[in-house]
Amino acid sequence: MDRVALRTQIKELIIRELNLEGKTPAELDDDAPLFGAGLGLDSLDALQLAMAIEERFQVTLPEGDEVRPIFASVGAIADFVARSKPLATATG
Amino acid sequence: MRVFVTGLGVVSPLALGARATMVGLMQGKSAFGPLTLFDTSDQRTHLAAEVSGVTVADVAPATHRATWSRTDAMAVVAAREALAEARIDPRRDEVHVAFGGTTGGMFETEQLLAGMVRDPSRREPHALMLSHPLSATSDRLQSAVGPFPRARTLCSACSGGANAILLGADWIRSGKSARVLAGGADGLCRLTFTGFNALGAVAPDRCKPFDRHRAGLGLGEGAAFLLLESEDSVRARGAVPLAELSGWAVGSEAHHITNPEEAGATAAALIARALERGGVALSELDYVNAHGTGTPLNDAMESRALRRALGAEIGRVAVSSCKGQIGHTLGAAGAIEAAMTVLSIAQGELPPTGGLEEPDPECDLVHVMREGRRAEVRAAISNSFGFGGTDTVLLFTRPGLVTRPARSGTASDEGRRPRVVVTGAATFGALGLLGSRGSLRYVEPGAPPSGEPLRFEAKEHFDLARARRMDRASRLLTMAMQTALGETEGARPDTAEIGAIAGSAYGNVEASAEFVQRIYEKGGRLASPMAFPNLVPSSPVGHAAIYLGVRGPVLATLDLGVTGEAAIALACDLIEAREAPAMLAGSVEEQSGITEHVLGPVCAGSSHWAGVRSEGAAAILLEDEAYAARRGATPICRVDHHASGRGGFARGAAALPAPTRPALVVLARRDEATLGALAETPWRGVPVVDVAGRAGHHEGLGALAFAAAVGVLGDGRAEQVLVLGLAPDRWVTLVLVRP
Repeated sequence: MDRVALRTQIKELIIRELNLEGKTPAELDDDAPLFGAGLGLDSLDALQLAMAIEERFQVTLPEGDEVRPIFASVGAIADFVARSKPLATATG
Repeated sequence: MRVFVTGLGVVSPLALGARATMVGLMQGKSAFGPLTLFDTSDQRTHLAAEVSGVTVADVAPATHRATWSRTDAMAVVAAREALAEARIDPRRDEVHVAFGGTTGGMFETEQLLAGMVRDPSRREPHALMLSHPLSATSDRLQSAVGPFPRARTLCSACSGGANAILLGADWIRSGKSARVLAGGADGLCRLTFTGFNALGAVAPDRCKPFDRHRAGLGLGEGAAFLLLESEDSVRARGAVPLAELSGWAVGSEAHHITNPEEAGATAAALIARALERGGVALSELDYVNAHGTGTPLNDAMESRALRRALGAEIGRVAVSSCKGQIGHTLGAAGAIEAAMTVLSIAQGELPPTGGLEEPDPECDLVHVMREGRRAEVRAAISNSFGFGGTDTVLLFTRPGLVTRPARSGTASDEGRRPRVVVTGAATFGALGLLGSRGSLRYVEPGAPPSGEPLRFEAKEHFDLARARRMDRASRLLTMAMQTALGETEGARPDTAEIGAIAGSAYGNVEASAEFVQRIYEKGGRLASPMAFPNLVPSSPVGHAAIYLGVRGPVLATLDLGVTGEAAIALACDLIEAREAPAMLAGSVEEQSGITEHVLGPVCAGSSHWAGVRSEGAAAILLEDEAYAARRGATPICRVDHHASGRGGFARGAAALPAPTRPALVVLARRDEATLGALAETPWRGVPVVDVAGRAGHHEGLGALAFAAAVGVLGDGRAEQVLVLGLAPDRWVTLVLVRP
């Protein structure tokens, strides 16, 4: 799977898990900050997103402050997922 | 009428007994250990404060052992202790019950629930499911300790026990009760343990409230009741009170479903209000029993709130939290901690904050550390805060400390009990989203409902960005509430001043079942943090309050087949007690296979309801007549009488005023029992209509019947209407009149 497809999958996951009704993957910027301003996500969203990413991509996210840089943007999440697993199995 | 505490009963993880619990607290003992009730190997944490020495087998009658929960058993033991200490026999002296909880029989039923999600053919009436609803615990108290002719079950997440005490105090102060057994109970279960873990709210090791290194709460379980007694009753029998419950206040933050307001403004305002209502000066306050969960957010917020409310006295008033030793006991916490606050006054003892070693500079308070200490306590407050932001403050004082009349609810005030009027009503059911006039159609002839789920376009009713945390039940309820608000004339009521109550007989049972099924299937680590706060029965009303900016009392109530009528009666109680000048009250019930095939038939006898099972929401805007007049609203009708009770309907029939003008009876459902009960009242012979024929059946239907009754009066089709809710062992009567 290529980087674009992975990023789209992550965006779809964000929209579904965080109930961003009416938003489409195309409306989410790859590099814009996810938390704080922008989408208005908060700590409860971060927890939900972490759980959903672990389940969907079979990866283990660090807890506490170490997760912050990974959650900086869709791109950063995609990079972490790609780093953690060979791309071939990341679709599972 | 003043309110005194004459008995305490506590089942805590430290000990059985209120005083024994205080002894353990004073010694600095911790009740935490590895959890044994269920497997925690896939959780982030493994510690909890479990109750030992109380089992269902020991407490439940032999014939009922298979249908009681641990929560029930703990509640019954605590209730007996409180009555025994007060030397009150409910068979001789009338006692009422106010009970708060969050999980009821979840521990006993979660495995069954998960199975019902996996395999719909398992949705059969299991007797154990009798223990599932929160109201089951009130029912056990009734049969094992009662009779209690009036009982109300509340949920406001972690402030439920405190709000039960507040309601008991309101009943006594407004002259409706002489004695109230008030408190809460909650047993540990996979759902709450996993949910708080998923939220990252649980400390990986020791719970350390107010500590610089605090990392979360520790869960506990337990039960507690206070026997509240009116001044007249105390005098008449020469009882010696332990303390006076002299002030209280409840309000909602309307901020976030799990996180507290950072600055603590709501909590601070409520502390000030409780002191003011109790007529207690800050200089007389000696102790604060804090909510003090040990989470970074709560303890910082609570410290700010205390600093704000106490001013310079913050440097003198001792503060401690019981949760470092007994854990967060959720619905029981407010009651257990209220009992410890009473003992701080009665015994002159300040329990420590267990686990606190290095106070956080952000929590710069006069802490009690390691062991308790002796001190004279003239007045003390107990704080409780819940998910969704319902905050409650109870103020206890040494008997005799308060001699001046309290600001509101004094004897001279009782003669001027607010009259409750209705200024708006709305329903969302088979006929769509309707105001009160439209809801009138439910009493007109027409086709029965299809039983299909209600459909709506969220974006037509909600600001989606603000509504994204709201589940379907929250949305159904909020749509009804905002339609009711929109119906009223005059200046729109300031939602910051009003409260909200929603009935929901079993809470969010489908989502709870799916949540536990996921735990069994995928392990605790993959539990949904976002889903968890929506599982507590007060979640729909909490979400509605956040969305609508409702800042008064926000509560859920659960009462099986009369849940809708009970919510309205409770709102009337709170307006009459001046807890809020106006309340949105109603119910929400969603279609659910588990409710239809299991809980309804087992708990509410719904298999005898003829017709289609449906879903829906209803909301009524009830107001103090003077408040409605001030904002220029013309009432549609007035609540002339309301009463509710347990056991036979004879009391309800005797108290019911006779109709004097053209009248109509509006029922949720027309069944033999209800018609038989009507025949015992002065309303016999009055025409009867019901709403179930067109709306279908559910446990909250009484609120829809009430909205239709408002429509009947608004349309001038009758001058007086009786709404009678009758279900096995419980009843509610509401009489509405045209102004």
